[in-house]
Amino acid sequence: MAHRIEPDLQFVKELQAVGGDSLKKCYQCATCSVACPISPASNPYPRKEMVWASWGLKDKLLNNPDIWLCHNCGTCSDLCPRGAKPGDLLAALRNMAYQRINPMPFIGKWLSSPKYLINLIAIPAILWAVVWFIRAGQIGSFFPEGEIVYGKLFPGDFTIDPIFMITFFGMVAIFFKGAKNLLATFKPEGEVLVLGKQKSMFRCFIDVLVEEVATHKKFKDCGDDKSDRKTGHLLVFYAFLALMVVTGLIAGFHWGGKVIPMLDVLHTPLNLLNPVKILANLGAIALIVGMAILTNTRRGKDPEKSKSNYYDWYLLNVIWAVALTGVFSELFRLADIPQIAYSVYYVHLVTVWMLFAYLPWSKLGHIVYRTIALTYVRHMGRQ
Amino acid sequence: MSNSILVVGGGFSGLTAALEAAELGYEVYIVEKSPFLGGRVAQLNKYFPKLCPPSCGLEIQYQRIKKNPNVKFLTMATVDSVEGEAGNFTVKVSIAPRCTAPSSADLGELAASLESEVADEFNLGLATRKPLYMDTPFAFPNRFVLEPKKLSSADAIKVGASDACDLNEAAKEIELSVGSIVLATGWKPYDVTNLSNLGAGQITNCISNMQMERLASPNGPTDGGITRPSDGKAPEKIAFVQCAGSRDQNHLGFCSYICCMASLKQALYVREQYPDADVTIYYIDMRTPGRYDKFMRKAIADEKLHLVKGKVAGVEEDAATGDVIVEVEDAVKGHKAKIRHDMVVLATGMQPSLAGDTNPFGVELDEEGFVVDGEAKGIFSAGCAQKPLDVMRSAQSGTSAALKAIQTVRGR
Repeated sequence: MAHRIEPDLQFVKELQAVGGDSLKKCYQCATCSVACPISPASNPYPRKEMVWASWGLKDKLLNNPDIWLCHNCGTCSDLCPRGAKPGDLLAALRNMAYQRINPMPFIGKWLSSPKYLINLIAIPAILWAVVWFIRAGQIGSFFPEGEIVYGKLFPGDFTIDPIFMITFFGMVAIFFKGAKNLLATFKPEGEVLVLGKQKSMFRCFIDVLVEEVATHKKFKDCGDDKSDRKTGHLLVFYAFLALMVVTGLIAGFHWGGKVIPMLDVLHTPLNLLNPVKILANLGAIALIVGMAILTNTRRGKDPEKSKSNYYDWYLLNVIWAVALTGVFSELFRLADIPQIAYSVYYVHLVTVWMLFAYLPWSKLGHIVYRTIALTYVRHMGRQ
Repeated sequence: MSNSILVVGGGFSGLTAALEAAELGYEVYIVEKSPFLGGRVAQLNKYFPKLCPPSCGLEIQYQRIKKNPNVKFLTMATVDSVEGEAGNFTVKVSIAPRCTAPSSADLGELAASLESEVADEFNLGLATRKPLYMDTPFAFPNRFVLEPKKLSSADAIKVGASDACDLNEAAKEIELSVGSIVLATGWKPYDVTNLSNLGAGQITNCISNMQMERLASPNGPTDGGITRPSDGKAPEKIAFVQCAGSRDQNHLGFCSYICCMASLKQALYVREQYPDADVTIYYIDMRTPGRYDKFMRKAIADEKLHLVKGKVAGVEEDAATGDVIVEVEDAVKGHKAKIRHDMVVLATGMQPSLAGDTNPFGVELDEEGFVVDGEAKGIFSAGCAQKPLDVMRSAQSGTSAALKAIQTVRGR
């Protein structure tokens, strides 16, 4: 049976540009598929992705949910006899997916290279500078007198809350569209492999959240990864969860208080002994510790085995900026140095906005897209 | 000035180089590290291209040496230093004591009566031997070697009483004047303990291809019976793991040229002994250069010999049965599985002997340890010191090196 392969050479070049630069070294020995402890027995990855990439089989690669099953421990790349870095290829395919499945692909392009970083920063920088200028005009000073209360300069009711709510729900809408696009493309190799009654998608989704996301079980199963990557990732994950709960509580009590006045009890800045503040501070500490571990693991990687790319460093640096400006906002407020405190808080708002507004196009988009892919493969019995 | 030639290494390429030069009238010294000539070929059961037993091809070489007064060979000898330049080298050689008389007395009975046993390197750890020994019955020189330090005190008394043994023979150092040098230092099997995902040499029934040669050899530890080292059971299902440490930047970065052929050859050993046994060769690419392709076609016509594309990347032992479980993806079918075998053979590659060893010759080695330079200095490489080769091509490269060496010393 003659089978004509139609390679998409442009696609191969794009793939090499987003982190798959070694893919052509592969000679298809299949060590990687065996080395990967979480790759399934039937049509295991990443050997098949390596040959598809070499041959420029774009459709196969783009319709493949397996790229999301990989948790990037790097065991395949460590054992690869050719230094073809299959782990990096799967990461590159995910980076490509962020560009491809989300609406407004130009933002995906901006996130793909440092030359567009200025655009990404400029939008929130101008946005929050305008707020700052208007308020400074009203107050008569760029740094309000008296006790440092960030609400004086950036009031919740008219600036922070509406801007972040619009940003947040916009992000959710984009994720919704992206998720639909992603599910529409999935055409995995092989058949549905479920024995007996197939679980519903929703049931699978809950199982993924409970069995995989909450516990980070796959990280533990991940090969020879002796690093503390799991601890780091888990800390960052729960830190964000804690900070989300804090934000939710403050916003909930505040806006709820407009309806039921007795709820209006959480006024920022909170007392350091307030349980919500304690949770917030614990979250900040967990975030910094987790980030230190993840950054360290990434810095310690042997570039012969795995190369970190711009997607990796962009996300790490933005989260670092969010965490550090958050912590320093609190410290300079407590130290009562208004000029520095308000300026740092401004940067904090800029970076937090960057984190959330661009989330679906950044590497952090895996929070939604990986979960969806894991749900999907579970639904069809592939795991 | 000297028109003698030094050949370092008494394996197939070194013997060939030495004889070609000697038979044209040049004085040749062979310096061989081990106690016997013949090198790696002597360890094989059969060798390419005609699948002869080594006693056949080597016997001819030994006869040629015996008849030719131009060839002088030193065994248990190593080169310490080389000074000078083409046409005028001074080479210091140390010779370890053999501790037996030069009369080639048959010490077989005495050896058999000893109680001490030592690990047998010639049999790659598959057996033990006495400290008074010969590698094979056809070993050349046909003269026993005694290791006095490894004798028990009772054995020492027995051996001391023999006229043919000298427990106190001292090491010697000599100096040779030569005009040219041929490096035929050969190869060593890649160290399986580096292959952490392939059992690292800790799994009894997961052996290397050189161990398989010893098992299949009539003068090996099992008298030629291919049986499991753990329990002597006849294997019904055997796997060969190709590229075990070859073509791998974490181990040997090159293809060892002959391992695919060696596994096909060994598959035939198994199939000849066991008409019901099932043999699978797991490979990345079956490399059967030139006319060897015909050999493969013939071999795989056997329906019990299977070729599966996919490199084995995991080997485990089933402690209860001694079985060996290999984990591999069949890259054609796209299915990975753990497959149980009675016995597994790792097709390990050839590492040049000079890799990680001292290099008193002042020649440049590449990162893998192969000789890449030296011709301008009057030093020529032959055989697997140069690149991985089969026996036939080793012999050819020996002839080639001999010719170059002769051109260097001619007329001096």
